[in-house]
Amino acid sequence: MSMIEFHDVNKYYGKFKALKNINLTIERGEVVTIIGPSGSGKSTLLRTINGLELISSGQLLVDNHDLADPKTDMNRIRKNVGMVFQHFNLYANKTILQNITLGPEKVLKMSHVKAAEDAERLLSLVGLLDQAQKLPSMLSGGQKQRIAIARALAMHPKAILFDEPTSALDPEVIGDVLEVMKKVADQGMTMIVVTHEMGFAKEVGNRLVFMADGEIREDSNDPRAFFEAPKDPRAQEFLGKIIHVD
Amino acid sequence: MQNFIDAYSWINLRFLLEGMWVTIYVSAISVVLSFIIGAVLGLIRYMKIKYLSAVIGLIIDIIRNLPLLLIIFFMYFGLPSTFGIRLNTVTAAIVALTVFESAMLAEIIRGGIQSISGGQMEAARSNGLTYLQAMWYIILPQAFRNMVPPIVSQFVSLVKDSSLATIILLPELMYHSQIIYGQNTNYMIPMFVAMAFLYFVVCFLLSQLSKALARRLN
Repeated sequence: MSMIEFHDVNKYYGKFKALKNINLTIERGEVVTIIGPSGSGKSTLLRTINGLELISSGQLLVDNHDLADPKTDMNRIRKNVGMVFQHFNLYANKTILQNITLGPEKVLKMSHVKAAEDAERLLSLVGLLDQAQKLPSMLSGGQKQRIAIARALAMHPKAILFDEPTSALDPEVIGDVLEVMKKVADQGMTMIVVTHEMGFAKEVGNRLVFMADGEIREDSNDPRAFFEAPKDPRAQEFLGKIIHVD
Repeated sequence: MQNFIDAYSWINLRFLLEGMWVTIYVSAISVVLSFIIGAVLGLIRYMKIKYLSAVIGLIIDIIRNLPLLLIIFFMYFGLPSTFGIRLNTVTAAIVALTVFESAMLAEIIRGGIQSISGGQMEAARSNGLTYLQAMWYIILPQAFRNMVPPIVSQFVSLVKDSSLATIILLPELMYHSQIIYGQNTNYMIPMFVAMAFLYFVVCFLLSQLSKALARRLN
């Protein structure tokens, strides 16, 4: 059973077509990176998966639930699909520990003790156990993003969406965040990552989707091969403009 | 100087304090009622419920752009002649202040909620929380912190504005001091000084109390 299936999905903002005829099937355990120029619909595609954006036509199945079906419980989908944002969006009024335990306690009805134990385990995983009692405003961007990943993991999701998770970070802390993401990938988590980190797409991703103008132009099961020799002319142009790919 | 000593006779002071008591309880009741009504209206405005939010928005805009004095007149003189509802001065003053301040507070509360970044709601919903849970645990606590200063100053205005109800002979502080210097114009300045002092004490205590309460809630 596939985790996520797009069938002829379109998304319009008025007359503007943000997504054109998207067909994409993502299996469990896949690490899919989505790259492409700004305004190509990458983030929009990602945000349709947990219903932050609604599709205009076509069919979108997440964990075998049809998102267009009014009977589908969006909260249940979101319980199973975590999200990490470009600007972290940690709860400003909650401590780091509470940021992680709120979902499990209120949504999964986990006991406070169990949720806190879980959170401490995750804080060790992301290397920030000593920050548990601080408020988000006291952390650096890289630390915030690692907490955001821990918050998503705490819900024991089936998949996690990453919306440009390193784009708002200082260059020297990007590595810390990517390292945590790699750990998560190594645990077998289904991940869909919109990113400008070509290194991550190449090394960690096992599938690569290139988008331009709201369309999927190239969908490759071999990211290394894609970076060696992209087939789509827009992809060639895009990669040609990137100064450095290791 | 002799004017001050004479003006502040025990009997006059007691009369002023009686007026102050009316000011305090009319204000206190209006503060509580307008906070509750303002919170509900502000939330409805924020949630953009079809038709309802627009209608309430229009009513709020109308009320906010009317002089409070006119609303007091309407509650006291207008209601009996148009609807046959006769309110006593205390009730009319409370109703007028509540109507006016609810509209003010609704806008403060709506603005406070809107000032919270949309990312907080998106994160909470992505975390699996329902809309109401997201509002209750994440949005409203942050919004409330931002709202405290404008809400406190609105309540301080309310106390001062209650003096307008002197026009319908509400026996509050302003009216009582007018009665005193109406009998002896030499007492006018002493009464102004006394009023300034008493209004300051009430308003200052109110703002300190609200701030302490807000700190406790946070």
